[in-house]
Amino acid sequence: MQNRVDRRQFLRGLGISLALPMLESFQSPLMHASSGSNSVKRLVAIGTYLGFHQTDFFPDKKGKGYKLPYVLEPLAGNRSEFSILSGLDHRGRNGHEGWKAWLSGSATGSISIDQIVANQVGDNARYASLQVTCGRPPNDARISFTRDGVALPMIGRPSVLYNTLFRSDSDKARIQYILDGNGSVLDDVLEEARAIKKKASWQDKRKINEYLSSVRDVEKKLQKQKSWLDIPFPKTDYTLPSYDPISPDQALHCETIMYDLMALALKTDSTRVLTFLVPGWSQVFEINGRRLSAGYHGLSHHGNEDKKIAEYNLVGREHVKRFANFLQKLKSSNDTEGLSLLDSTAILYGSGMGDANTHDNSNLPTLVAGGGFKHGNHWSHQRGSGNQRLLGDLYLTLMQKFGLNIDSFAGAKNNLNECFS
Amino acid sequence: MRFLLWINITFFSCVLVADDFLPQSALSFFENHCFECHQGSEDSIEGNVNLEAKSIDWSKKESTVFWTRIYEVIHSNEMPPKEASSFPATAERLSMLTWLNKSLTNYAPPGGTLPRRLNRVEYENTIRNLFNYSDFKVPPSFPEDDTTNGFDNIASGLVLSPTLLSQYLDIATSIADEVLPEPVPLKSFDSRDFRIKPFQLKTNEGDGAALTNDTYRLVSSRNMASAAGWTSPFEVPVSGVYKIKVQARTFQTDKMFYDKRIKPFRLELYARQNGEQQYEPFGELRALGGFNVTTKEGLSKNYQLESKLFEGEVIGFRWADGPVYSDPGKRDISHSFIDDRLLNDSQFYAAAIKLDGGKRGSSQIEFYESIRELIKSGGLDLENPKLKSPPKVYGGGLFNGPHNWCKAYAYEEMHRFGPALDILNIEISGPDKIIPDQLTQSRLARSDLFLGRSPGAILDISFAENFLRDFLFKAFRKPVSENKIKEYLGIVEKHRLDNPDKRIEDSLHLAVRRAIISPHFLFRGLKSGFLDDWGLASRLSYFLNSSPPDAKLINFAKTGKLSDPIVLESETRRLLKKPQRNNLIKHFTGQWLGTRRLKDIMPDPRLLKFYNIHREAMIDETEMFFEEMITENHTLDKFIDPGFSYRNKNLNNIYGGNLSGTEMQRITFDKGGRSGGLLGLASIMMSTANGVDTHPVHRGVWLLENVLGSPTSPPPPGIPSIAPDTSGSTTMRERMIAHQQDTSCASCHKKIDPLGFVMENYDPVGRWREHYPVYTETASEPLKEEFYSQNGKQTRVGQKIDSSGLLPDGTVLKNVVDLKTYLLTNMNLFTECLVEKLLVYGTGRSLNFGDKRISMKIAKNSLNSNSGFQDLIVDIVLSESFLTR
Repeated sequence: MQNRVDRRQFLRGLGISLALPMLESFQSPLMHASSGSNSVKRLVAIGTYLGFHQTDFFPDKKGKGYKLPYVLEPLAGNRSEFSILSGLDHRGRNGHEGWKAWLSGSATGSISIDQIVANQVGDNARYASLQVTCGRPPNDARISFTRDGVALPMIGRPSVLYNTLFRSDSDKARIQYILDGNGSVLDDVLEEARAIKKKASWQDKRKINEYLSSVRDVEKKLQKQKSWLDIPFPKTDYTLPSYDPISPDQALHCETIMYDLMALALKTDSTRVLTFLVPGWSQVFEINGRRLSAGYHGLSHHGNEDKKIAEYNLVGREHVKRFANFLQKLKSSNDTEGLSLLDSTAILYGSGMGDANTHDNSNLPTLVAGGGFKHGNHWSHQRGSGNQRLLGDLYLTLMQKFGLNIDSFAGAKNNLNECFS
Repeated sequence: MRFLLWINITFFSCVLVADDFLPQSALSFFENHCFECHQGSEDSIEGNVNLEAKSIDWSKKESTVFWTRIYEVIHSNEMPPKEASSFPATAERLSMLTWLNKSLTNYAPPGGTLPRRLNRVEYENTIRNLFNYSDFKVPPSFPEDDTTNGFDNIASGLVLSPTLLSQYLDIATSIADEVLPEPVPLKSFDSRDFRIKPFQLKTNEGDGAALTNDTYRLVSSRNMASAAGWTSPFEVPVSGVYKIKVQARTFQTDKMFYDKRIKPFRLELYARQNGEQQYEPFGELRALGGFNVTTKEGLSKNYQLESKLFEGEVIGFRWADGPVYSDPGKRDISHSFIDDRLLNDSQFYAAAIKLDGGKRGSSQIEFYESIRELIKSGGLDLENPKLKSPPKVYGGGLFNGPHNWCKAYAYEEMHRFGPALDILNIEISGPDKIIPDQLTQSRLARSDLFLGRSPGAILDISFAENFLRDFLFKAFRKPVSENKIKEYLGIVEKHRLDNPDKRIEDSLHLAVRRAIISPHFLFRGLKSGFLDDWGLASRLSYFLNSSPPDAKLINFAKTGKLSDPIVLESETRRLLKKPQRNNLIKHFTGQWLGTRRLKDIMPDPRLLKFYNIHREAMIDETEMFFEEMITENHTLDKFIDPGFSYRNKNLNNIYGGNLSGTEMQRITFDKGGRSGGLLGLASIMMSTANGVDTHPVHRGVWLLENVLGSPTSPPPPGIPSIAPDTSGSTTMRERMIAHQQDTSCASCHKKIDPLGFVMENYDPVGRWREHYPVYTETASEPLKEEFYSQNGKQTRVGQKIDSSGLLPDGTVLKNVVDLKTYLLTNMNLFTECLVEKLLVYGTGRSLNFGDKRISMKIAKNSLNSNSGFQDLIVDIVLSESFLTR
């Protein structure tokens, strides 16, 4: 029972630990924290837990002239806005545990690419980053890790994400009370610690200084949160269903809503970094009015049986359909500075699961969209081809596009700039 | 001062000498090699270190710190610097170090723990205790503690980072919200009817299924989340009392395999939060009640009950007394059903064997139909001897074992022919009455408990002062000054002034938040020197229980009696009498013996099938062994050769043996053999390997550090590790011999390697072996699924293991039994090591020269009196090291 978190509790818990967004009409003083001259300002990473059937995700041919594979067909209208990359992975562990490594390159949870980017651009928005999933992720999977290796929790209820983005006045008053209270208790304990320090030996003083400098650091963060709170939360006319569709059988419905809210989060500049873990359990989906013959997880272990693969692909296509809608939404919106939201947002789409049938995490399905990059190609870097590259190479390129001066990540040392310029 | 006197007799060895004159050799060492930079007046000397001294005044605390530092920089070759004009000869340097070592060991006083932050475990326990909040857990985002000197409760390693402080701050708010919740007004909501058609009942897979739009068919199962029908998309809109009406009937045919039932079928209803855990057994869900559905043919009736439902819940339906289900603890029902099925329906079993589990990911229907197809087409091998002795394995994956074959088959059969329970319609109406939601209710109860408030009572300001006096005393684990209480009361008064219409509870909210981020709460040992009774109560309690002092300790501290050695001894024994396996045992063995590491090691499936139950049994064995060592006050040689252990049937595949039952049982065996003790525990062997292969160096280093108490320096940088040869053509030993021939490596490897070789008979999970395994498939390729289904079959017998070793003192060891004998004849090694470990863990510091002197004394005393392990812990608590911050 102790693990149950209701909506209200969640709201409060979250409200106090995250920084807060801005509106088109407001120019925050924090806005010009600058991220170089690049036009790319946002990062979205979307991973599908049970993966895709690789042969229906990757095209046969390299370059521009490829035929769109079955699973990616919903993206037909966006061909010039994304690139497919095959042959990339971290050379890491197999199985579902490999998810930890998807964005971090490491199975033990070192900092993930989204958090590296959030450290760079996060201050520009109310929330440095937001982590999203549908319901409760399978095996309590996590994909985002901070600098300290702490796994970031994900928001699984649409109503919680909605309330995070568009806080009500009473929520806001509560956050104000908490922040003010935190400010005053920090002042008080600073005094307490100083009094202890006065009587302490020089070695003890160093320990107390640890405390003092942490208090000062947290006070600074608090100031920032307070200044965001002075900026009104955006308003929206988007309406949620009366319940949260978070039971596994409604996951596709939940996915649709989460994409809508993510697009709104970017449009209102509530955050610049989003991760979305699209989960999968053993639910039996109904697609186009037809109930599938087995649960989703069962289908992912298709045993190379055509019928199963076909149904597995049906689910995969549903995911891609929703992703294509998301791209379309970003394409038709401008950000607060008048740039196309799609051109200023780099999107990584794919899976940390290579071949779900065998739990093999090589050749991870990977696609990059938006960001104002040159797109339209299928790049193949198959293992043993003499042209083999790592997924970390791609991440290096993405991070460098954000003006980050990083030249190695998870064993990767070469970027993949040639694919996008 | 009876107390000091007593201590003096036992472990107070150090006489504080005011004038310890430096010998001529030291004086000339400093003059020749140091004075160039470290002589003269304060501002002209390097690093503010002046070495112009004739004598050392050991009665001054600074002397120890200063001369320890001098020892360390000379020892590590940091000083004199390489570029110094006159660099000392090796012999000169060594003699300097020997003198300093001896002086420090003789004269340095013990102590020197820095203010010690509560670590994660201690913090959790302290919060639970302080707020009567037994299920408190830190959030998953809470950072891990660093480990220093082998433990995570060492003051110098317990750094306070801004990340951690903001976690403390957030947790303080959520705890204050829990124990001092704001009043939540009841929601308003118009009562209405919700209709749920059977096809809207949702399930994950398998056992329940909508047949048509009109009927949902339930068969029995234990796993509610995946088996029962759940009412999503209906989610309770507001907490209240609702009427639930269900139209249901039973379904039985003449064709069914089972006997017809006359007794009504039991339909039970449960509630859970939407989107909660997927695989909860029904026993963990909230039961709403149920109905007896009549077996009268074809008769569908309406059944109704009234129940409290909470916001966000969904409702599940279960046929509780069907033929196939397995409650935890009642699993035999399902087992005997399966045994029956396999024995009496040989056609089914023969077909199942032929199908061999079917295709991966087969659905229940496919599986059923494949079996029927095979039975229909005939030609099954009904003479197969397997049919006579059906397996009794509890199945693993979906169709890997007979258990699941039977279940899937039986469910489908019941869907088609009965018996089953049909649900035709569901109507939920309400709420008739709106009630507070679960969270509000539980918080209110928690708040009453925490404040000692009777439900509904209204508090006034005089309550606040008394409350804060008690609360701060408990939070800071020591008496709190009146001024401090006034400070906190000031917070309450100010809040009341600003918010005259709020309650006292709301005003206490902020004061509570402040208290639990205060350094007085987060740190212990803020005062240096001898521990007072309060400091002692905390140190003892966190040492033995990772928790704040209990009422008895507090009473002794209040009356100033705790430092009385007689009281201290009896309190130590009291706390050890019923050791809390969760705390001292769990956390000390978890780190000293490495059982904490086990959760991160996944043994190679090519070696054996290994599941969590094996891991848990290994940890239990280690902890129960250690527990008996304490409670029975066994002599320390039993750590090496105990003649007993605790095991269950899950350990049969590690140790051999034929235990039955999952309860841990005490077993005994002859002493003098390889079984049991620190050199025989599977958990230790597993934690010193990596799950795939063993490495003599790792185990050798582990033994030196944790059993022989003679750690080696880390290898110089840039030395590659030796990887095992997976082809099996050379042994680790052959590859390591070359390594030992390099003199710079040999100095340490002569100590490490023989110990490691001796342990080579233990495989990566602690099984005994005579030969190395050779994996017939390499692990560098991704492990395919097929692989897992054939666990343990991908190895062949490789080279024979040579477990002999030659210790640096010339002792020849043939195997691990010889090493045990060696340790038993040299018990001082292990005893000294164990004392050091416990002292480090208990005091939270790396031992200084003074502490080492005391630690040696304790060990010597234990050896001489051949005392038990509990006595040893008492000696540690009574030692000057433990009693000094």
